Amino acid sequence: MSTGANGCEYSEVLREYALGELSRSAGEEIESHLATCEACSDEWSTLQFTLAALRSDGDHEIPQRIAFVSDKVLAPSGFRRFFDAVWNSGPKLAFLSASILAGAIVFSSMHRAPIMLQPALVQTASVSRADLETAVRQAVVKVREEDAKNTKLLLAAVEKKYGEKQRALLLSVDENFQVMQKRLSSYTMLASSDASRSGGQ
Amino acid sequence: MIFRAVEDTDLIARVKRGDVQAFNLLVSRWEKRIYNYLFRLTANSEDALDLSQDVFLKAYQNIRKLDDPERFPAWLFRIAHNEAQSLFRKKRPEVDLNEDLGLHMEPSHTFSLDLSLAVTAALDRLSPDQKEAVVLKVYQGFKFEEMSEILSCPVSTVKSRVYTALDLLKTELSSPKQARKGSS
Repeated sequence: MSTGANGCEYSEVLREYALGELSRSAGEEIESHLATCEACSDEWSTLQFTLAALRSDGDHEIPQRIAFVSDKVLAPSGFRRFFDAVWNSGPKLAFLSASILAGAIVFSSMHRAPIMLQPALVQTASVSRADLETAVRQAVVKVREEDAKNTKLLLAAVEKKYGEKQRALLLSVDENFQVMQKRLSSYTMLASSDASRSGGQ
Repeated sequence: MIFRAVEDTDLIARVKRGDVQAFNLLVSRWEKRIYNYLFRLTANSEDALDLSQDVFLKAYQNIRKLDDPERFPAWLFRIAHNEAQSLFRKKRPEVDLNEDLGLHMEPSHTFSLDLSLAVTAALDRLSPDQKEAVVLKVYQGFKFEEMSEILSCPVSTVKSRVYTALDLLKTELSSPKQARKGSS
């Protein structure tokens, strides 16, 4: 520290302490120094007196209050206040954006144009119940006729096949009978031949 | 004190959103200090009152430019300092800063009239810069850093003005001549 006006190195620091510029710890160091340095102690007393004298001339009351009553010229408009309140607030801005989006979606859904369906590819004719029943009966008859026809053909086919089998069987039997007959005649001839041989001896 | 600083911060935030009533409350808290600061500079009650009104008007119009609400006191007094300087520039050919122009004679209720007048006279003998530095330091309680911002000059310059002024005031207020004046 440099030497101050009173010849002591604490002189300038003393003034800073008197004017409230120093921390409490620094102030404690100054207090300790004041107890040992007469020059600083005298300067401290003079400083305190000067400051006390100055402060004796205290603040004066203001003769007329200054009031900023809501002056429309000065105050921002309601829109400006709303805009500032929303624009400067992130949550409010997000909420407002979401509200606008939700409102747009609701408005769009309520005023949606009706969907135009594609015309049917199949043209439907308008028929009466009687016609319908007649048509059904005719259709049933036709189906039955076809069924009968098919059945007859099937039976004929079965019969033909049966007949063929039967004929085949009869042929087979006949052939077997003929074979048996031939065998029997053979056996008979053999038997008569043997008998004649044995009788002639 | 800390609680009030927090409240001022809240009021400033509301004023920025356009709350005029919040600004009115802010004015009610600071008007006396601003008025006394300007009164000590101008030594004229009417001028101090007009300047105070201008100060708060400009503060309201420019408060959105205040980025750090903690700096509000220094910011407000800077406006007051500029307004006072503007007045001095306008009145320079006419105003004698040592002239008694409607000086408020009512002293502090706890000390004698003589001491109050002595203090006023001693302050008037300082240069305008020294006087303003003393007012900001002793009466308004600003730190040297804040005063540097208010007066737009280096901290060293601010310290020099304050210490020189205190030396002069020390002499003025503690001289035997002053003591004789007080007793007469």
